[in-house]
Amino acid sequence: MNESATRIILKAELLALRHRLLKRSPVRLVLLALFLLVAAVTIGGAAFAAGLTAGQFLPNESDSILSGGFTALSVLMLVVGFPTVIATFFVGRDLLQLVLAPIRPMDIFVARLLLAMSANLLISSLLLMGTLGVGVGSGAPFVFFPLVVVLIFVQVLIVTALQAILMSLVLQWVPARLARDVAAAVAGLAGAGFYLAWNLSLRQTFSPRSRPDFTNVNAVIQRIEWLPSAWPGHALSAVIAGSLGGAAIWLMLSLALAALTIAAAEILYRRTLLAGLGVFGGPQAVWRRAPAKPASVVVKQGAGSPARAIAIKDWLSYRRDIRRLSRMLPAFLFPIGYALTFLRPSRSINSFWTEVALFGFISMFLSSALATPSIPSERRGFQLLRMAPMTMRQVIRAKVMLTLPPVLAITLLFTIVVAATSGHGIAQLAEVSVLVVWLGIGFVSIGVSAGGIDPKFEASDDRRAVGVVGTLAGLGGAFGFGLLSVGAFALFVFGSAAAAGTAQLGPIPSTPIVGALMWVGGLGLAVGAAAIVVILLWLADSRLRTYEGTIAAV
Amino acid sequence: MPLPATDGHIAVEARNLVKQYGLIKAVDGVSFQIRRGEIVGFLGANGAGKTTTLRMLCGLLTPTSGTALIDDIDILAQPLQAKARLGYLDEEPFVHPHLTGREFLNYIADLYRMPRGPERQQRMERLLRLFELADRDGELIGAYSHGMRQKIGLASLLIREPSVLLLDEPTNGLDPRSARLVKDLLEELAALGTTVLLSTHILEVAQALCRRVAIIDRGHIVATGTIEELRAQAGSEQASLEDLFLKLTAGPESRELIERLLAPKL
Repeated sequence: MNESATRIILKAELLALRHRLLKRSPVRLVLLALFLLVAAVTIGGAAFAAGLTAGQFLPNESDSILSGGFTALSVLMLVVGFPTVIATFFVGRDLLQLVLAPIRPMDIFVARLLLAMSANLLISSLLLMGTLGVGVGSGAPFVFFPLVVVLIFVQVLIVTALQAILMSLVLQWVPARLARDVAAAVAGLAGAGFYLAWNLSLRQTFSPRSRPDFTNVNAVIQRIEWLPSAWPGHALSAVIAGSLGGAAIWLMLSLALAALTIAAAEILYRRTLLAGLGVFGGPQAVWRRAPAKPASVVVKQGAGSPARAIAIKDWLSYRRDIRRLSRMLPAFLFPIGYALTFLRPSRSINSFWTEVALFGFISMFLSSALATPSIPSERRGFQLLRMAPMTMRQVIRAKVMLTLPPVLAITLLFTIVVAATSGHGIAQLAEVSVLVVWLGIGFVSIGVSAGGIDPKFEASDDRRAVGVVGTLAGLGGAFGFGLLSVGAFALFVFGSAAAAGTAQLGPIPSTPIVGALMWVGGLGLAVGAAAIVVILLWLADSRLRTYEGTIAAV
Repeated sequence: MPLPATDGHIAVEARNLVKQYGLIKAVDGVSFQIRRGEIVGFLGANGAGKTTTLRMLCGLLTPTSGTALIDDIDILAQPLQAKARLGYLDEEPFVHPHLTGREFLNYIADLYRMPRGPERQQRMERLLRLFELADRDGELIGAYSHGMRQKIGLASLLIREPSVLLLDEPTNGLDPRSARLVKDLLEELAALGTTVLLSTHILEVAQALCRRVAIIDRGHIVATGTIEELRAQAGSEQASLEDLFLKLTAGPESRELIERLLAPKL
């Protein structure tokens, strides 16, 4: 009997995955497996425990919790899933081969849909654990548990098909010349919008009290319960409530929706596959037309500077790559969203230290978004830098100097706005500004280093441009640096107050000696924080100097 | 045809270069010397180790053992000095897709600290005109064809006048006119004292351009010398470079396999 085309395609993909895995060194594979196991147990266990607690103690809120969980999963998948969907459905030379082969487009669609689901399925495992916890906590009947697996799979199918529909619609309606950038902008804006909306709605959900008010959660969830993304949650809560009839109706509705979206996606994909291959598979559309007259050339004087050359090249590339630019939107919208939230008069989180923590977080967030991909985004052009008569230290310095101004500008602006609306004095604003500049320099250096430690120059997407080792080094480094820096800042602030005799330190006396000791402690922590940055920069430098990964492979 | 202006000075030297990936030796003890102003052809089958050798010579890959010298400078010991003297063109040139040709040339010139000013500008204009890219000024390199990318890659080498050129399939993807242009250009450059190591599959190009050739097979240099020396080595005075190459690199089983494949089915 002949194998189906879908099966053949999937088998080839699995074989390729196996080869990719086996190509790594056994030590790295074991470490990766261990890390994944620990992460799965920790994160999955936490999700299960949270679900268990909610199911046990909030039995009347199970519908809200489950509906909210499924909606959150859909939002998350929409936010992070677009690049995977574009890549799986429309990019890849293997896809060209499939199009040329005597295979029905439906077979290609089904195979690609299943492959595109892989990233979304990984994300959904978190919801799976949480939902199983809710089931156990609320003493749900046995049928609840297999139903959870089925419904999450269906939800992932729906969202993935919906993403394929969105991309196909863009290809259908937008001229091919612009489709790639419009698709990128849609993905970026959808991600940023959903993220901000979700973030702000969660912030509104919690009352000004220190304890979350779950009646408010219910109010928010009720507003979204009509959403199809909430239907699987309704089906499961009906099972918990013992209403199998209700569960069957919601289940049928979810299955019908899945069938409808998959059918629509298949029809649209069939129509737009070739256009999509042309738009996404080939080089980026030319956005500039040749001018009618030759461009006037301004002759500049002076010596050529590699740092300036990298700066100009990065600036031009960023400006012209709308896809990358659109992916920066969440990073820029995030502090603006937070600033708006802070400016609301009803806000309760207004203490100085909460603001310090937020400044640190936003600085870290912006730095990781802008600085981390700065070295891997050189792609094959990195080899030009390797061949040029310049050191990798110079490259790293150029990247840090380039990323620092936008990060500092945004964080300082945010700091000034928040400090001004909070009514802090000039002295406190100056203190916080110094901290923000320190954090900016540190986080940007750590971000650039993370990209240099484990760059993936072959990645076409900035979000996959840094490997596991680099990501861990970046996260760990940023976390350590942030903690030590804020600790040092606190010791400096309290030390100054103690020296002046105005500090409230509980049993510790507020004296100049205590103040001096706190300053010494603060200096120690600051040196520790700086050491983390220096170590990561050194690691990145030595790694880049000897980097051979893609150079040897290509 | 201008005669090569070689003065006997060794411009490129590979000393027992080895590159090992796990158990596989991609390059195994490669040694050769190229004199200043010489064009040397570097020939080998796919996967023979040509690109790996070139990348070790230009400092992109670190040899497992051995030394690469550019104008007597060890590329590992003094990388900046050595790199300033050489230009390497990859089979798939390293370019930035979001820059125009002119911007890319400026970028490269800045990376190599070339003084800005009218001289640089004039040289850039000349190169853009020479490679017929001046009219595509408003286009991003990402939209260039393979041949155009190859041309802008070559222009990016020539703008900074390196004394040593390492070229991996420089005529790959070029139309016949552009390929001819590149050949003429290389001859002119060699006459002016530029040293060229040219890796190519097109044996006619090697035969026409190169005074000497080095043939690499499975990581080993199997022959070096002028065509006449190779003919003498192979014992056939009338053999073409293609015949010599096949004799030195392909086993007798190849012919047998082809005959078996083409034989009518019984």
